[in-house]
Amino acid sequence: MSSPPGVALRRRILFLFFSTLLAVLVLVMRLAWIQVALGEELRARAEEDRTRSMPVQARRGTIFDRRGRELAISVNVDSVFAVPAEIEDAEATAAKLASTLGMDYGKVLDRLTRRAAFVWIKRQIDPEVAAELQAADLPGIGFTQESRRYYPKGSLASHVLGIAGIDNQGLEGVEVVYDEELRGTPGKIIIEYDARGRELPQAVHRYVPPVDGQSLVLTIDEVIQFITERELEKAVIEHQALRGVAIVMDPRTGEILAMANRPDYDPNHYQDYPVENRRNLAVTDALPPGSTFKPLTVAMAVEEGVASWGDTFHCPGNIVITGVSVSCWKSHGTLDLEGALEQSCNVAMANLALRLGAESFFRYAEAFNLTNRLGIDFPGEGKGSVPTPAQMRPLDLGVMGFGQTLTMTPLQLLSAIAALANDGVLMKPYLVKQLLGPEGEVLQTFSPTPLRQVVSEKTAREVLQAMVAVVEEGTGRNARVEGYTVAGKTGTAQKVVAGGYERGRYLSSFVGIAPASDPRIAVLVMIDEPKGTYYGGQVAAPAVAAIIRDTMRYLDVPPDASTAEERASEEPLVKVPLVINLSVEDATMELRRQGLGVDVRGGGGVVVDQVPPAGAAVVRGTKVVLSTSVRSASPSDNAMVTVPELIGKSMREVAAVLGALGLRLEVVGSGIAVNQYPEAGERVPPATTIRVEFQPPADR
Amino acid sequence: MWTRKRLVRNIDFTLLGLVVLIMVVGLVIIGSATQAQKGNTHYITMQGIWILLGLSAILIVLTIDYTEFYRLSYLLYVLNLLMLLAVLLISEPIQGSQRWLVFGPVRIQPSEIAKIFVILTLAAHLARKRELKSWFDLVPAFIHVSLPMLLILRQPDLGTAMVLLGILMGMLFIAGFPLRRLALLVFGGLALAVGSIWAHLRFGLWLPLKDYQIDRLLVFIDPEGVNPLTTGYHLRQSKIAIGSGGALGKGLFQGTQNNLNFLPEQHTDFIFSVVGEELGFVGACAILLVYLLILWRGMVIAASAKDRYGMLVAAGVVTMIAFQVFVNVGMTVGIMPITGLPLPFVSYGGSSLLTNAIGIGLLLNIYLRRHKIRF
Repeated sequence: MSSPPGVALRRRILFLFFSTLLAVLVLVMRLAWIQVALGEELRARAEEDRTRSMPVQARRGTIFDRRGRELAISVNVDSVFAVPAEIEDAEATAAKLASTLGMDYGKVLDRLTRRAAFVWIKRQIDPEVAAELQAADLPGIGFTQESRRYYPKGSLASHVLGIAGIDNQGLEGVEVVYDEELRGTPGKIIIEYDARGRELPQAVHRYVPPVDGQSLVLTIDEVIQFITERELEKAVIEHQALRGVAIVMDPRTGEILAMANRPDYDPNHYQDYPVENRRNLAVTDALPPGSTFKPLTVAMAVEEGVASWGDTFHCPGNIVITGVSVSCWKSHGTLDLEGALEQSCNVAMANLALRLGAESFFRYAEAFNLTNRLGIDFPGEGKGSVPTPAQMRPLDLGVMGFGQTLTMTPLQLLSAIAALANDGVLMKPYLVKQLLGPEGEVLQTFSPTPLRQVVSEKTAREVLQAMVAVVEEGTGRNARVEGYTVAGKTGTAQKVVAGGYERGRYLSSFVGIAPASDPRIAVLVMIDEPKGTYYGGQVAAPAVAAIIRDTMRYLDVPPDASTAEERASEEPLVKVPLVINLSVEDATMELRRQGLGVDVRGGGGVVVDQVPPAGAAVVRGTKVVLSTSVRSASPSDNAMVTVPELIGKSMREVAAVLGALGLRLEVVGSGIAVNQYPEAGERVPPATTIRVEFQPPADR
Repeated sequence: MWTRKRLVRNIDFTLLGLVVLIMVVGLVIIGSATQAQKGNTHYITMQGIWILLGLSAILIVLTIDYTEFYRLSYLLYVLNLLMLLAVLLISEPIQGSQRWLVFGPVRIQPSEIAKIFVILTLAAHLARKRELKSWFDLVPAFIHVSLPMLLILRQPDLGTAMVLLGILMGMLFIAGFPLRRLALLVFGGLALAVGSIWAHLRFGLWLPLKDYQIDRLLVFIDPEGVNPLTTGYHLRQSKIAIGSGGALGKGLFQGTQNNLNFLPEQHTDFIFSVVGEELGFVGACAILLVYLLILWRGMVIAASAKDRYGMLVAAGVVTMIAFQVFVNVGMTVGIMPITGLPLPFVSYGGSSLLTNAIGIGLLLNIYLRRHKIRF
């Protein structure tokens, strides 16, 4: 037997008890921390552990053109996934999947046996294949609808739209700029599982619906885009050029109506094209503008008061700046300012730039936004380079006056020129007009952003008028468009290659604005390295003219210039000579000499009557009807003229119509024709006077 | 000498009541923990049988005067070693360890019973010792514990071996070994253990431990870093289950992590996680309170023992239960290494239940015979 325990040892038992109490308290505190303090978080983790969610993709928003035509849409297609824990026979399942989907067996098996809650087998498969697999009803294999991007118009506007990848993510173009808006928020189906991954029969199946993406309404107009691409393509092919760019902009708002590049690509199969084809040169690349820059030089000089429209310039074919001779493309002799622009005289432009001085020139370059990005809603916008005043030697300054040495993106160039068409106010270019919600409701509207008044309204209008002269009488004649006054400027830049200019490699461009009286569009076409003829006026101007012509017609823009007939009527009038009593031969010779046509009626040799009569002022080319002796007394029935319908026509039109028919006009009042006598449809002898009453349109 | 009446009157019914309570609570929790498993009545039935056997064991232990164990201590010591040797020699490994002796449908785990043998024999050894002051005095006691401990480590059963060390420390303390030296011993031992594990990881120092054992020892320090899919998984799931219970719990039988089998070993080692998930902070604290009361009764009994031997045996039993509760609960909440110790009276398993019941029987025995025999 052992001895009884002492008091000291009993005290130790008390100590042991308190130690135990302390240990239990530590446990309690720890429990409180985990259960009360961390409780929420761990509860969430518990839920996360026993649930799996199947993604439900949000539908990517549609991209519309400005009139609501679909340019990019999302279509639903099936994607196959596997939940490895639910697979019963991995080998058999892999074999079936591999053969149906045309995939590698090993690869499929590897995915099926992966330690993951969820693996994709194949994304975005064809409907027939999906149906076949669904029929096979493989355990652990599921399907989910994913949306796939589809560009219904193929390559149209591909550079603007860009591309969206398989995961619904924007990769290029406006698809990437507005990715967040287009993408939406994916939803999910939540299913509860046990630790072995078995789906629980009465488990929570929660459906969190996806929030579909917003839709974009572009400033692009599908039809104008189509016209632009067609004309650009034609020019690039015709001139066997390396590449080409075309932009159509509304100068009043900065909205881009069309933006095209060649070569291009089809965004539905973008992998099949070289990456360079996806480059949107219009926005990303800085190029020398060449002579298309000249209107800006003129605007700067006029605005600064260093030149006026009455100034004259002498062009001997070259200009010597600090000892270096810079040649003009031609010896122009003496020109006024408008003539200098019309004839695209380098010498005059160099003079203007030198008069402005480096500081002013650079300040205007900044004001025209040539030194900075414009901030268009497009990724990878480039900017040109303009030397700072400190870097500018006089030679540089002179050369920049005609658009060499400095570079800018086509968009910068067009925006600056468009400012001249917008009374001197530079607008920020933009591509997206509106954001629409899933139901088509307007969430946001982007309004035009004026950047600044660069030159005065007066200067802008004067330069625009001078640009009209370029098209009417100067180097830009190929840009003339029936019915509209076009302001424009040609450009033929030598390409800069490794620090110098290379002969034979040109950048031909043309910038046009129409109608000049109330500008609606500004168009730039640039053709890179055309073969053969390379002048901008020959390579790019016809494309610009075609774009303007078709766009004006499409937009229903009222003509602001005379048509061919009208223009004819404006030409200098010819006084009809007196040919009565002359022989037919002499009369014909005399009339032809005056530039008039001849219509001989009757078989006689002597003229007995003439219509119009001698002394009448007619337009050049008007046919004078000569009656010869035989039927002189009474004009035969077939010499009778049917009176045309004149009501509603302008005085000029009436004059032209009657003149062409050989009838005389008696004018009463002014404005639009409201009454005529004789009435339309009556047959009258030639040279009958038709009395027409006009009234100003406002009076009606 | 003994009348039945006197015997019954001297039983500590508080302790007995608390133990029955905790065993019944354990049975219910096991029912919840195994409800999702096939033939789910199996575990409850078995545990019910074990509880009845445990109560019988308490009664049997009560009938033998505990001082008999003092006299038979050498025999018990040899018996214990033979039994542990038998495990190593005879038994077939189950899940990589040799822990069980199989008798038909019944498997018993001698390392569990070994704890009782160590308590009884070590108490006898310490009771005989007059002096227990110097470091040298400890050598026989250490040797005493080391032999069975090494055999247990060989199985390998790190957890039980550690319980033995805990029992040794507790009993040395109650036997009167100077507190400062004991503290030095405990903290020195801990430092040595930490240092050698560090050296193992850093320099590859050889340790008599397998990699997974080291992982389990370390996991509570860096739960996400150590084998998150195996060892770390247990701890992560346990913490998620307990934490998701919140203050009031999800309700009995309602624990999702438990029922969906995210919790590993939820009816054995990690049963406290089920308590935490289903009964919440309040329920977990209530269970801890019951343990605290049991331990309190145990210490009262130790203090009231009529002799040094009885006090040491009682202290040994209390230390055993306290150590296991603290390490097991500490493991489920991530402040203790994962050692695979069951939660006394609650975890599913016969050997553990019987062992702890015998321990309680010893406490009741000592209390019953706390008075010196008066003629």
